[in-house]
Amino acid sequence: MCLVEVEKSPKPVASCAMPALPGMKIKTNTPVAKKAREGVMEFLLMNHPLDCPICDQGGECDLQDQSMAFGADRGRFTEMKRSVVDKNLGPLVKTVMTRCIQCTRCVRFASEVAGVQDLGMLGRGSGEEIGTYVEKLMTSELSGNVIDICPVGALTSKPFAFKARNWELKGTETIDVTDAVGSNIRVDSRGPEVMRIVPRLNEDINEEWISDKTRFCYDGLKRQRLNDPMIRGTDGRFKAVTWRDALAVVAEVLQQVKPEEITGVAGKLSDAESMMALKDFVNKMGSDKVLCEGNGPSPPADLRSNYLMNTSIAGLEKADVFLLVGTQPRVEAAMVNARIRKTVRATQAKVAYIGPPTDFNYDHEHLGTGPQTLVEIAEGRHPFCSTLQSAKNPVIIAGAGLFDREDQDALFSTIETVAKKFNVVRPDWNGLNVLLLHAAQAAALDLGLVANPTESIKSTKFLYLMGADDVDLDKVPDDAFVVYQGHHGDKAVYRANVILPSSAFSEKEGTYENTEGCTQWTIPAVPTVGDARDDWKILRALSEVAGAQLPYDSLSGVRDRISMVAPNLVHVDEREPCTISSEVKPPVKQQVSSTPFKTVVENFYMTDAITRASKIMAQCSATLLKK
Amino acid sequence: MAAPLRRSLPSLGRTLLSPSPAPARMLSAAASDALVEIKPGEIGMVSGIPEEHLRRKVVIYSPARTASQQGSGKVGRWKINFVSTQKWENPLMGWTSTGDPYANVGEAGLTFDSADSAKAFAEKHGWDYVVRKRHTPLLKAKSYAENFKWRGPPKAEQA
Ligand code: SF4
Ligand code: FES
Repeated sequence: MCLVEVEKSPKPVASCAMPALPGMKIKTNTPVAKKAREGVMEFLLMNHPLDCPICDQGGECDLQDQSMAFGADRGRFTEMKRSVVDKNLGPLVKTVMTRCIQCTRCVRFASEVAGVQDLGMLGRGSGEEIGTYVEKLMTSELSGNVIDICPVGALTSKPFAFKARNWELKGTETIDVTDAVGSNIRVDSRGPEVMRIVPRLNEDINEEWISDKTRFCYDGLKRQRLNDPMIRGTDGRFKAVTWRDALAVVAEVLQQVKPEEITGVAGKLSDAESMMALKDFVNKMGSDKVLCEGNGPSPPADLRSNYLMNTSIAGLEKADVFLLVGTQPRVEAAMVNARIRKTVRATQAKVAYIGPPTDFNYDHEHLGTGPQTLVEIAEGRHPFCSTLQSAKNPVIIAGAGLFDREDQDALFSTIETVAKKFNVVRPDWNGLNVLLLHAAQAAALDLGLVANPTESIKSTKFLYLMGADDVDLDKVPDDAFVVYQGHHGDKAVYRANVILPSSAFSEKEGTYENTEGCTQWTIPAVPTVGDARDDWKILRALSEVAGAQLPYDSLSGVRDRISMVAPNLVHVDEREPCTISSEVKPPVKQQVSSTPFKTVVENFYMTDAITRASKIMAQCSATLLKK
Repeated sequence: MAAPLRRSLPSLGRTLLSPSPAPARMLSAAASDALVEIKPGEIGMVSGIPEEHLRRKVVIYSPARTASQQGSGKVGRWKINFVSTQKWENPLMGWTSTGDPYANVGEAGLTFDSADSAKAFAEKHGWDYVVRKRHTPLLKAKSYAENFKWRGPPKAEQA
């Protein structure tokens, strides 16, 4: 398609591979060029089956476009078309290999971006085919992207196969909340149902890829949903009630407990609006015990630079040495890992890792498993110090899993010592990063949801769980009254006394801040299920019934309130870096313990209520995580 | 021009507070003579839009390229998303119904060349809008010949 006619050249020239030279006369629209393109198109279609009507790519197929633009109006091929056996690439990617036009984009993506050497080209001539050589599943956390990459329908989405045609779908441009990266996505829906999720370009965050968890978690949005407000009766069973009754019951219990016994916990998928409302409500009831799960016993909320990715995700590309402390980016934030890998490939940057043995898809040096190694580096006794010393733009990435450790303060001050020693933070370069795990974390720290979970939950009589499923429910006292507000019947529902159904991220407008401090909005794509309401609206209604009315009753009202607490959360699509340096910290007296770092994310495919409810994610964990 | 204007006239009495037919004259004048200024929300009021849809929240955005296609013909246009989720499925046939007259307008009916013209349109109709940033690809200079360039003796292969 790129063939052009160049004056004085006997043959048409492939413009994509020919550098333009001075004095060259190029003609792009002559009969010669057109005929040459038609010929190429004919060769491409020679072995391509005529099954567009039953092909999932039909309607958004590059080959269809090209043949419309450049192809002939009839075919001259009367022989048998070649056919190829389909390959089994796992539960996500469906193959119809007869459609393959051997462009090898999937092979290049797998080996260059995803970093797995699974796909390759076998045979030659008309026997050429894409495959895995021996029967093998594609075990990359980015494998779904080959569906987009493939210009024809050879690689398509298995869960989406024959579910809808793409021209019936309505696209809503929103963001993903299954990890802290905030990948830009488009939610394609048909009627009231989410049919698929595809990536959308954002060079600063996810480039044009998304992880498999983001892409395929959508079937979790239809399963295990909470439809109606429910109250647990004396027989231990839930009974559906009206909103009025449910709120009245909660408000009545609220009147009976002491203010300091009230605890509010925000879940990992909460948006900033609902966390603001939760905090205001709990504070109004006279308690200051509001927290967000995953932020550990003493969240480092004083300075934004202590919990953000200060280098920014795109900024990682400028780094030449990475030191990963207790973080496994491949499972914690697949898109950040893809960025690191891109840097390693492009500039031969060095990666060193301290933590439990884990999978990397680039060269790395495993320095050790525990904080001891970190202390050695801080004291300059470790051989890796020389590499750090000579680095121009060193980057340290600490995992958010460190927040849960007892010796958190000591660890972070050690990391800071390392940073100071090797010039990681300079006026023109900030290489000190924290990689967060959940979509809600950054905004929660901005808004000040920072109570100590162990203490507040142990002594509570009234526990308000806003989508929080990973709190330690054994610690909750037996006589505590637990309200669960959320969209999925997940772990915490077993302990709940009252259930208030809320809407999921695909159904509401919400503000999320990602791990680099970029504020983004979700936009509702589909209606909520049953009687569910937006999180902040439920809290607003409850506050009125409980006699402590919150002073806002519209989304813009909540956002105004947020702008007073954390102004950066209202500047959408902008990354607000932290400007204050961390120099002004009190000295830490804690000792670094010698317990090795733990793996934080055990199962990449199932990390929250939505992904745990998803059947596709369950299949993935069953087949792909098998060792 | 005259026919649609006449059709919108009966609704004028209902939607406009001032009883005089002056706004109608202004509308026809606005079409032919740009000197007459259109105030925010005015077009919405005279166009017979039901009152509850006069103040709507809309999102102005520029759709990203479809992930599976490389063609750029449709990139760079601006659309209005009416954030319409009032939908339900007909329990008998499975058809989708909606209670929102704008449900299908944004996606199918309105396309603008620039964010500004979309903004002006929303303003004229009195909608509350937010404009979302458009993301464009970062283009890097690359050349095919570069792939075959001599870069010194081979280093240890990168995975
Ligand atoms: S991307 Fe699709 S068409 Fe290209 S080689 Fe791979 S399977 Fe074949
Ligand atoms: S685009 Fe030039 S050879 Fe294919």
